[in-house]
This record gives sequence, structure tokens and C-alpha cells, in this order.
Amino acid sequence: MRVLLVEDEVRLAENLAAALRDGPGFAVDWAEDGLTGDDLAGNACYDLIVLDLMLPGLDGLSVLKRLRARRDPTPVLILTAKEGKDNIVALLNAGADDYLAKPFDLGELIARAKALIRRGKGAAHPTLNVLGLEVNTLEQSVRRQGVLVDLSPTEYRVLEYLIHRPRVIVSKRELLEHLYDYNWEHHSNVIEVHVSNLRKKLDAALPEAEPIIETMRGRGYRLAPGLPSDGPGPASTAEPVR
Amino acid sequence: MKLRIQPRSIAFRLIVAVLAVELVSSILVVVLSFGYERHIHFRAFGVMLHGHADSILGAVQDADDPGDNVMLDQADLHVPPEDIYEVWDQDGHLLGRSSNWQGAGPAAPTHPFGDFSEAKIDGRHYGILRIQGTRTVDPGEPGGGKVHKVTILYGSSTSHVWHSIRETVEFYAAGSLFLLLVTGPLIAWLLHRGLLPLRQLAALASQVSVDSWQLSPPSSARTTPELAPLTQALESVLQRLERSFLKQRAFVSDAAHELKTAVAVQKSSLQLLNMKRRSAQEYQAGLERCLADSLRLEELVASMLTLARAESATSAPGPPPTANLAACIRQAVAQLESVAALRNVHVSLIEPAEGTDAPILVPMAPDDGTLLVSNLLLNALQHSPTASTVELHFSREAQTAVLVIQDHGEGIAAEALPNVFDRFYRGDPSRTRNTGGTGLGLAIAKAIVTKAGGSINIASQPDPNLPGQGTTVTLRLPIDEDEITRPTFSTP
Repeated sequence: MRVLLVEDEVRLAENLAAALRDGPGFAVDWAEDGLTGDDLAGNACYDLIVLDLMLPGLDGLSVLKRLRARRDPTPVLILTAKEGKDNIVALLNAGADDYLAKPFDLGELIARAKALIRRGKGAAHPTLNVLGLEVNTLEQSVRRQGVLVDLSPTEYRVLEYLIHRPRVIVSKRELLEHLYDYNWEHHSNVIEVHVSNLRKKLDAALPEAEPIIETMRGRGYRLAPGLPSDGPGPASTAEPVR
Repeated sequence: MKLRIQPRSIAFRLIVAVLAVELVSSILVVVLSFGYERHIHFRAFGVMLHGHADSILGAVQDADDPGDNVMLDQADLHVPPEDIYEVWDQDGHLLGRSSNWQGAGPAAPTHPFGDFSEAKIDGRHYGILRIQGTRTVDPGEPGGGKVHKVTILYGSSTSHVWHSIRETVEFYAAGSLFLLLVTGPLIAWLLHRGLLPLRQLAALASQVSVDSWQLSPPSSARTTPELAPLTQALESVLQRLERSFLKQRAFVSDAAHELKTAVAVQKSSLQLLNMKRRSAQEYQAGLERCLADSLRLEELVASMLTLARAESATSAPGPPPTANLAACIRQAVAQLESVAALRNVHVSLIEPAEGTDAPILVPMAPDDGTLLVSNLLLNALQHSPTASTVELHFSREAQTAVLVIQDHGEGIAAEALPNVFDRFYRGDPSRTRNTGGTGLGLAIAKAIVTKAGGSINIASQPDPNLPGQGTTVTLRLPIDEDEITRPTFSTP
């Protein structure tokens, strides 16, 4: 998952980025002012935007309004030091999904960030379940038919992204966009290696089953190809293919 | 022990004053009416006495005896029966006397009272008139007849005169008292009505609160000459209060925002450190970061306190402080020497050629003067590219000290220019927090200059084609006249 952090206070931004990377393992891009933030948000490759309100260049509320004017559905978590219900009501009405008042608890920020990403992808519960594959996003653990699968952090992040979109073909480019921040060199073969390892580990846990990740040559990857199209099972609902 | 007099309401005092004036005037009316009535009544009394005395004289007739004597014919005399009289001739013979009197003799009475005298006879007061009359017996005879000089004493009781005087005075006194009793409540009612605009104004003024500063006085309060100045004063006081209150509230809100952010930094630093088990080096690095965050918070609090002190209108007791601006500039330059060296920026100070030794005194505390110059210089240094120059041009124009600080940095955008002196304002995106500072330096400078009665101006015309135009800050401070003459006199 990739998070855009728009915060002008350098030290706070450093801490938040470190916490979001270390904790839930998100890729974090940091914008120091409103205009850069708006510019980066325009790429529409983020699963969450953490937005400070008092920003140089363009204030947080304007960034939010521009985002929603583009019909961008990315969840937005506002960081505010301002007091008052009116402020919060105005923010939520302008399209914010949640807010945190400074000084906030880092653990709470991470929990809210996860919840917002989950909700943004249509999942209500932190444990996702597709065709016997269970991903616990709190513990960052993966089980296949009850068997614990040990994954590297990157493999877990690939799976976490895919399990939010079962049966949907996810391109390598999309995976790259959502798993790495701007500081990474974009080499699509890195993804290939990680997906290959992931598939091996998942299938090793249940050798007799069908491969759970299908490679669509030249198009991308698809999780749980055998899932019935209107099946009642999954805890997450599929999004239309972009 | 001092006796404290309970202050009374204006209405009460006015009513008491009016009633006191009324009381005094009614006493005066009673006294004057007494004097006037006494005068009038006694004049009439005197006329009446004369009339009766004349009729007594008329009753003195030729006695039917050969000696041409006269006698008093009391049979034809019609005078009030309670009156007294006596008639003497020039020889001291009593010619006649009223039956109710023993007589006083021709020499009596003694107490003169107007044109008649007063006497107390049988316990009653009488006004007694004494007239001399002549009666000529047989005027037709040769030799002119015999002339008799008679003295008539005629008296009448004054009690009924006094009675009518008393009645009249009593009427006036009762009338005045009645008026007094009636006008008391009437004045109270009129005052109550007359003070209505004042009460309305007070009621409206009492509705003013921190949430609603608007005072909309009734038109009566504006048009009443006594209330108009009060209304205007109230309105202007409220406006000033509202302005300063809003300013304070904005400052508190800004300060709260900055402090919350600073606390958020510290809290997140500590929580981040605590998120997982780390190595000793990581802990040490984390603690150093936390310490740096604390230092920044400390700096922020110190700056806010400095700003609050500079913005407060009250000054410390004692004579107004003065600072030698030239010394302040040199001190500030010395303080920031290391910063300039670190950023590789050259600082050039141009001072007036003559009289650099003579102090140029400006009305501010020396510490404030140094802080002012160092804040401006630091700002210039922070926005100077490496290997550039910051020029300080210090001069004197008549009674004004002028300091121009010119940097060759990226300049300030025109739309940001009016806000640079605002608290916590951090210009355009390029001037973000990572250039350091608390966002209070220029606000503090502005507050110090305003307090000293000077002016500060910032000019910048950033041009992407011509980088290095930079920013020019012009500082103008009034030179303390008295202070500058004193050392001139002391040196021969």
C-alpha cells in the first residue's frame, strides 16, 4: 500500500513516514507543501492520503477540495491542530474520511490509516479471506487452509494488495505504483521475482490445490481465478477493472 | 477613622437637591410674605387709627360753658367699642377717655412702632396713635376765638392684625409645603423618564460580551448632548477592545497550533522509538532527535514570550530605555558571525562616516535593539545563497536613524509580501520550516519597532530571469532628541 503524506513540519513528517514504513509496511511519499501534495495526488496511485491542514503554498482544505473535484476516491486522513467542531464538520463535508487532532498517538494514526485503506477497498474486517487463503493485516500473517505461510515483507505487501482485489487482473505497473514510493527505481522484473516467490510459498503450503495466483502474460496477475463471480465467500468485494 | 459616605444614585441626589432648593425658597417666601403682609396690614391699621383719631378730634366740641372750653362729646362718637382713646388739652386736662381704659397720661406711650406706638394694656397688645389737633372755639368772634390744642391718643388692639398676618403666612407656608410634597414624586417621575436613554444605553452596554462586541446604541443616546460623548467613548473603547481581543485570540490560536505541532513532533519521535525493539545506537540517535525537538520547542516558547513582551504596551518602571543603535548593530553582526560563516555569506556593514563614536540613541531597551537587528539579519542570512553578500547600510536622516538590510536571495513573492510580519507566517513554499526559525522573528522585529514608534518596510521584486535581486528591509527609528543633546553638552 502506498501513502501520500502532505506535511510541512519536517520532523513530524520524518517520524510519520518512518512509522508508516516500519509498522504496516506502507510505501510513503512525502510532500512538503500543498502544491506538491496536490501534484503528487494527481497521479492517483495512492491508497491513502495523510493531509496536514496548515500548509504553505496551498492549504490542506484546498488540496482536499481539488482532489474530490477530480472525483478521486482515495481515502483522506486529515491531521489538524485546529480546535472546534465546525472545523471538523467542514472538513468531513469537504470529503475528508477521518481526522486526527495534533498531538496524536502514532499507534492510533497507523490503526486509522489501515482502517481507511481497508474501507477504501471495500473490506470491513482486518482479516481477509479468499478461497481458504487468510491474510491477517494486523499480525501481517498469512495462512492457507490453516497452514501458516512465512512471507518476506515485500511478498506480504504484494499479497495484501492482491487480496483486496480478488479476480481482478492487476498489472505489474499497478503493483509497482502501489508498493513502492518515488525513491525506488522502477524495475518491473523486481515484481516478477517477488510474485514468483510468493506463488511458490503459497502453493507449497497446499500442494494439491490449484495455483492461487495466475499470471496473465503481458497483462498482469490475478488472485483466486477459481472464485465464482457471484460467490458469497469473500470478505472483500471486487472493484471493477480499471 | 474615615467616614465612608455611601454613594447615592444621581436621581436621588438630584431629587434631594431640588427639594432642598424648594424648601429654602418656600422658607424665603414665608419670611418675605410675613414682612410684606405685616407692612401692608400695619399701614392699613395706621390709616384706620388716623381715621378713628380724626373722628375723636371731630367729637371735641365747644363746651357749653362760658370759659370757651372744649369737651369731648362721647355720645356721637362711633368707634369700635374695644378700642381705647383719651383726649387731653394743652393744659393737661383730660377731656375724655374710653371707658375700658385707665389711661396712660399725655406723655405715654413709649415704644414707637411705625407712626404709632405699641403698648401692652391688660395683657393685650395695642397700637396707639398720638395726634395733635386744634379746635378753635368761636372762630367768628373778634380775635379769632380761642384755639385749643388737644392731644388725642387712640389705640386699637393689634391682635386681629397679627391674626390676619399669621393667616396669610400660614397659607403661604401650607401652599409651599403642599408644593414640596407634590413636586417630590413628580420630579422623581420626570427624572425617571429623563434618564431613560441612559438606562437604555446601560442595558445595551450590558449585552456586550466577548462573543458579541456590537453596541448599537439607540438614537436617543446619540442625540442627547450628555450621552453622545459617553456613547462615542463606549463605542470606540469597544472597537479597540474587540481588535485587541481578536488579535490576542488569533495569537493564542496560532500559538496553540505551533505548540501542538511541536508536541506532536516530540510525541511521535518517542512513540516511533518505542514501536519496536531497537539497537543501542538507534536508541541513542532517537534520543538525540528527541532532544533536538525539545530544543526547538524551547526556542519556540522563548520566542513567543519575547513577542508577548514586545507587543505589550506597558513598559518597565523607571525612565524610558534608550539604546545605541550603532552598538546594537555591531553586536548583532558579531552574534551572527558564525551563522554567516556557516552559510558562507559575507556581511558588509556601512556606517555613517562622521560621528560613529557619538551614540545614536533610539527609544528601546538595548537588548531589544540587538534582538531586532539580529532577527532581521538572521532572516537575510537564511535566505541568502552561498558566497553572496548581505549589506547593512546604517545612516542618519535628520531625526531618524535608517538601517537598510539588503540580501541577494530568492526574494519574496508579491502576494506573500504583506504577510511576512504576521506571526508564524512562513512565506512561499521555498521558505518552509526547514530553513529553521520559529516563524516569529519578523513579528518580534515588527513589535519592537512599533513600540519604539518607528517603521519597518520590506521590499522585494523577485524576477526568475534576474536571480539575486533579493529582499530589502528598511528600518526607520526616531532618534531620541533629549538623549542626543545631553552628551553634546557634557563634552566641551
